[in-house]
Amino acid sequence: MPVHKVAKPESEAAIRVRALEAILTEKGLIDPKGLDALVDTYEHKIGPRNGAKVVAKAWVDPEYKKRLLTDATAAIKELGFSGLQGEDMVVVENTPEVHNLIVCTLCSCYPWPTLGLPPVWYKSPPYRARAAGDPRGVLKEFGTELPESVEVRVWDTTAELRYLVLPERPPGTENMAEEQLAGLVTRDSMIGVTKAKTP
Amino acid sequence: MHGIHDLGGMHGLGPINPEKDEPVFHEDWEKRAFALFAGTFVFGGYTVDEFRHEIEKMDPAHYLEASYYEHWLAAFEGLLINHGHITRKELDDRVAQLKKESH
Amino acid sequence: MLLTPDLVPTVVATGASARAHEHVAPRFRVGDRVRVRNHNPTTHTRLPGYLRGKIGTIEQDYGVFAFPDTHAHGLGEKPQHCYSVRFTAREVWGPSASERDTLRVDVFDDYVDLD
Repeated sequence: MPVHKVAKPESEAAIRVRALEAILTEKGLIDPKGLDALVDTYEHKIGPRNGAKVVAKAWVDPEYKKRLLTDATAAIKELGFSGLQGEDMVVVENTPEVHNLIVCTLCSCYPWPTLGLPPVWYKSPPYRARAAGDPRGVLKEFGTELPESVEVRVWDTTAELRYLVLPERPPGTENMAEEQLAGLVTRDSMIGVTKAKTP
Repeated sequence: MHGIHDLGGMHGLGPINPEKDEPVFHEDWEKRAFALFAGTFVFGGYTVDEFRHEIEKMDPAHYLEASYYEHWLAAFEGLLINHGHITRKELDDRVAQLKKESH
Repeated sequence: MLLTPDLVPTVVATGASARAHEHVAPRFRVGDRVRVRNHNPTTHTRLPGYLRGKIGTIEQDYGVFAFPDTHAHGLGEKPQHCYSVRFTAREVWGPSASERDTLRVDVFDDYVDLD
């Protein structure tokens, strides 16, 4: 016997978005197929694998790393990543002395070309409040503990620069190829809530 | 403005509770809401700064409890009406009509 | 402009930088000690409330950008320098904060004065 599925009632937000899209389409102001293409781009084509490639290249190529830390926008563009919400990039390097953490306390600014769209937690009040005021508490919640001898440096994305953390290269990776190294670079390590994975 | 969005350092907001392996979008409507930013920005006559400010003007309780793309929806409605692309009446009438159809 | 599917790749790859190309003299240099103004408008600003009155150091000058406070209200770009300013955690949050940790916040010419 077929299972009877009860459809979820459409939420207020869903109805309002449908209404908006319909009116704007009727007025010839938007093209729903254009919207489809945007969704496809950010759902399937742009994501943290881009940033992982940037990081892995910086790990294996000291000259690239220098360019990345001097002019991140240009260096990231070398790998084909650029544009919307990444027009003016800054890459900040984790070292044994400094651990960087990125937040946008005022809204949700995030480097889309290298990381894709931000996760819900990054855009939510608890992270936005506590990353600024209690970064070590936040890191602990993500399983990252740092000694007091390390400086935790919180970057609040208040203007149009977009920040990406260059995590430390994990130990024991000396013989790994660039592609394998990219596999160790998680989205969370490029926001700064964790370190990169170990092999 | 020193509004509810100005959250840096605020206490008492609770744990972060990150969702493991979360999808880019949780609902179909969020996909449309996301795409409407670029879709409306290119004709709308508003700046990103104005878009942000529109969100900052949300009712504070609603701001805190609403899901993220509801913030964008609130901004679009305000901006499109203020810039004369749609009217409040057009929007309300259509919402009422769609609600009737789905019941 | 109507955003059709063929235009999407260009829009995505180009974006819309807020960088301004006017030549505007910076008010500060790297190394300057600055105090954040008691800037508390009811209109749009990108100065977080937690920074008002705090003392920091100019670490980097990112160049000239449109000023959000005016740009949000149709009052023009008022292009000015945007800096990365360093604040100690204790300066911002008080003596119970970590001694070593810091905050780096992007701050416009109009948000700070020389201390």
